[in-house]
Formats: sequence, C-alpha cells, structure tokens
Amino acid sequence: MSTLSGIFSKNEVKTEEIVHQPKPYSNPYLVGVGLGLVLLAAFVIMGRGLGASGAASTVVAVTVSKVAPEHASKNNFYKEYLTDGTTNPLKDWLVFEVLGVAAGGFLSGTLAHRVKRTIEKGPNVSNRKRLIYAFIGGAIMGFGAKLARGCTSGQALTGGALLNLGSWAFMFAVFGGGYLAAYFFRRQWL
Amino acid sequence: MMPYYKFDYFSFDFSLVVAFVIGIGFGFALERGGFGNARILAAQFYFYNMRVLKVMFTAIVTAMLGVFYLSWIGWLDMSLIYLTDTYILPQIIGGLLLGIGFVIGGYCPGTSVVSASTGRYDGMVYLLGIFFGIFVFGEIFPLIENFYNSTPMGKVTLPQFLGLSHGLVVFLVVMMALGAFAAAEWSEKVMTKKLGREKE
Amino acid sequence: MKCPIEKLSISKRLAIFAALMGILALFIGNPVNKNKITVNAKELALTAIGNQDEISVMELAEWLIEGRADFTLVDLRDEKSFNEYSIPASVNIPIENLLDSDLMRNEKIILYGEDDIASAQAWFILKSANYKSVYILKGGLNEWKEKILYPKLAENASSEEKAEFEKIKQISLHFGGVPQIVSGTTTSNVIQNVQTSPAPKITPPPASNLKSAPKKKREGC
Repeated sequence: MSTLSGIFSKNEVKTEEIVHQPKPYSNPYLVGVGLGLVLLAAFVIMGRGLGASGAASTVVAVTVSKVAPEHASKNNFYKEYLTDGTTNPLKDWLVFEVLGVAAGGFLSGTLAHRVKRTIEKGPNVSNRKRLIYAFIGGAIMGFGAKLARGCTSGQALTGGALLNLGSWAFMFAVFGGGYLAAYFFRRQWL
Repeated sequence: MMPYYKFDYFSFDFSLVVAFVIGIGFGFALERGGFGNARILAAQFYFYNMRVLKVMFTAIVTAMLGVFYLSWIGWLDMSLIYLTDTYILPQIIGGLLLGIGFVIGGYCPGTSVVSASTGRYDGMVYLLGIFFGIFVFGEIFPLIENFYNSTPMGKVTLPQFLGLSHGLVVFLVVMMALGAFAAAEWSEKVMTKKLGREKE
Repeated sequence: MKCPIEKLSISKRLAIFAALMGILALFIGNPVNKNKITVNAKELALTAIGNQDEISVMELAEWLIEGRADFTLVDLRDEKSFNEYSIPASVNIPIENLLDSDLMRNEKIILYGEDDIASAQAWFILKSANYKSVYILKGGLNEWKEKILYPKLAENASSEEKAEFEKIKQISLHFGGVPQIVSGTTTSNVIQNVQTSPAPKITPPPASNLKSAPKKKREGC
C-alpha cells in the first residue's frame, strides 16, 4: 500500500516513512559478486566494460544535432558521438546497455515489490527542494562525468577492475568530493 | 579466445543485443543492492550504510580477479580489453565534481536509470539534470578543450605506474578492499547506534 | 575441517576466498609472459601447407592503391634500410621487437623483409604467440622491387603480354617506379643502372580512403 505523499506540495513537509513490506535488500557482498560477474562477462564477451554517461552523451549529441546540425558538427565534443551519417548514432553499444539497465532495474524491482512512484529523500526536506537538488546534482555530475571521461560505472567499476591509473585516481576523487560535500547537504538526508 | 567480439565471433549488430542483455544484468544487480534508492546511496557519505563501498569494491575485486586468472590460464587476451586513456588532472577534478553531484543529487548515472525505472521521480529528474549538465559541457567545450586534454598519460595501469607486478597489485587491492569492508562494518555498527535508526 | 568453515557467514567465506585468490595472485606475479610462446605444431604445419598465409606483391599493390586500411604492413628490416626505402604505409618493427610492439592479436598483419626468410621466421613467432591473422608478402622487398618498381617487358613480347604490362605499368608509376622495356642484349646494363638509381620516395595514399577498414567505434564510458 503506497501513498503519493504531496509530491507537488510547496510546504515543508515531514513525510512519514511509508509503511510497506518490500523485500529487504540483498547481502551487499553477494550483490557485489553478481555485479562483478556481469562486468567480467562484458570484458570476456565484448572486450570492454560497462558505462552509463556515454549513453547520455550520445542522446544529448543526437538531440543537438537534430536541432542545430551545423553547430553540432563543428563542435569537437558532439562530433565524437555522431557518426558520418552512414549509420544511426543511436545504434551505440552503451545506449542499448543503458536500456537494458532500465529493464533490469524494473525487473528486479517488480520481483521484490520495490517499484513505487515516490521521491526518495530524508525527513527534513521538502519534495520540491529535493527535486531541485536532484536536478542540480545531476547537472554537476553530468559535467564532471564528461571531464573525467566516465562515471562510476565506466571509470570506477570498469577502470578499477582493469587497474587503470586514471580510474583509481577518479574513484578516490569521487569519494573525496562526496565526503567533503556531505556535511553541507546533511539536511537533505539525515 | 576471449574477448569474443574482438575475434569476430559475432557481428556489431548482435553486439547490441549483447549490450542489452548485459545491461539487464547490470540493472538487476544495482536494484538488488538497493542502489535505486537515493537515501541508501547517500547514506554512504554519512557512514551509517556503507553498501556503496561494499558493492563497488566487491564488484571490482571480483572482475579484477576474473581478468587476472582468465589471462593466466590463457583464455583471455587482456591486451584486447579497452582501456581508457588517463588524463590525470581532468579526471581528478571530474571525480570531485561527481562526488559533489552524488551527494547533492543522490545518484550516479547508472543508478539514476534504475531509480527512474522503479518509479522514483527524483531519479527521473536527476537524469534530466545529467542531460543538462552534459549539454552545458558540450556548449562550453571549445573553451575548456585545452583543460579537457591536459595531462595526458596514455594508457597506463597501476602495475605499470608503480613498477610492481600485476599479481602484487591484485593482492594489495584485495587486502585494501577487505580492510575497507572491515572498517565499513564497524562504521555501520557505530553510526546506527548513534543515529538510533534501523539499518536498511 | 568442515565445521569452522560452515560456522562463518557467507560474507566471511567470500572474504577468505578473496584473500586466498589475492595471495595466489601475488605468487603468480605477471599472468602473461609476453615473450613465451607455445607452439601447436600440427596446427602451424597445416596452415603452412595450405599456403593461405601468402600475399603476392601484385595483390598488395592493388590494395594500397584502393586505399584499403584493414591491415598493418610490417617492415622487418633495420631502421636504416627502412628509412632508405619502404613500401608505403608500412611500419618498421624489427623482428626482435615484434612481441613488444603495438600489434594486436586480432588485426591483420602482413610481414615483409628483404626476402622470404625474415618474414617466415616472424610469421612463426607471431603465430605461436596467438596472433590470429598473419601473412607473408611473397618474395619480400626483392619481389616488390622486381615486379612493381622496376617491371620489365621484353621487346619481343607477345601482344597479350604487352596488354598485361600496361596494367603493371600503371601500378608501377603509381608507386613512383620505373617500368622498362628491354631487349635481350642490353638487359644486364639496364639492370645495373636501375639498381643504382635512388629509390623514389612515395607518399602513401591518404588513410582517409577507408573502404574496408572497420570504423573505429568508441569504447569508453
């Protein structure tokens, strides 16, 4: 039984923990092994690792090229995600992989009764603020991910397993940045 | 010989199917681990739920050991696995930004997809944020292109950089991970008592 | 021995397993020894008999003109000889550096040296180190010089042969060669002259005419 608790309300609302019986999350170490095996499968079958931000970049580049093709083709960044016109740039490995991620997440969530239309946030922040933060956080992360040539899936997981120097430096920077910022945003979560 | 795709076992089009299937596995594992939920992800940075660290490092260690041993028995050609070039400065700055974005937004790109697909509005908004962030990046790219390409180090691995054998680095990583797990378990115990809340 | 292991939680069991694998890795050191090769003699012998791994100079010349870039052409001689003259679009990798080089096991590699010997030896080394597509340029550089750079047609050749020669002449000129028609008596003199004239420096066709090369797809995140 779930309730949509005032998602668009403007007031500071103290939301209650929704009483619900979804299955508890699995042992993190087992999940980690499973995730590691998926990554290993990618290595062994495709000779490459996982990723997520690359798919988003492709989508952005394709959108920009549809709206302003000249501008996109002149920009060195967008160019990399567009093809020479012979194949559809959306026929990209990462795009299909991310679609799979959505499907897999939905599948797992459904099996464990954890699919729920809601907003995840701490008890001391309003829904509106949470959504604003989510957008800003996403924007910062999107920007950072492109600078670093990847996100936690592509750089940290993939590069980490391959002992890539840049990836390990990146991973430490992510944890560092997170812990530094945590103090300032504790209101949102605690 | 592995990696199969690099030896032309199947076509590019079929590799897209493979991508989808692998993605399903990825998304499934992420959701199982609770990573479709921003509160759990953010909890990592407040020390009371260290799932992110546990899952990530277990995954890295598993895949790393897999690559090592499959190479050792001669089944996998490690040199054909794609390694991204290292650009140390932009990667560190990007990492810091990513960490900050993580705490503000509560997700990373992969987990936000899982979150969105399990119905969380904040996950969907976060995804929109990512698109916007990448768009901004693309638009100002000519200005920061030099920084983006600075400090290139080519394809370099930790064993190469540290001058240690591959096996030694594997060993050190495993030990470090196990140490981190022990610290994480301790941290969770201490913090849940402090914050007086149930471990999720 | 069963009881203590069973008493531990699954997490602890995983931890012990990981630790053991890590320690073993420590002793293994480097999982891949680049310089060691294992030979499957039967397989190699069968490939050798089939002559499937040979490429003629004519074929190579045609591919280069077409602009095909789906292979890597390797010059096995020393640097000095390479700088004097090399077949366009080739890279210089002396035989002792082959296994250390950037060559990938799944790319198409064509080897040539002065003659057939160096390329045959290199072929053996690469095939034993599990390189999948390795080919020998039949006749090596000597054959290239004779057939492509300095092709000769006898004065008293038949009209058929003359027609054939036209095609060869075009190819030769493309590479800056010097096709010639020789009569029986003056052949030896001409050959002498030909060998002392400096070999023409040729700019390889631009690599952008990729016809059969697979498009380099991004593989990052």
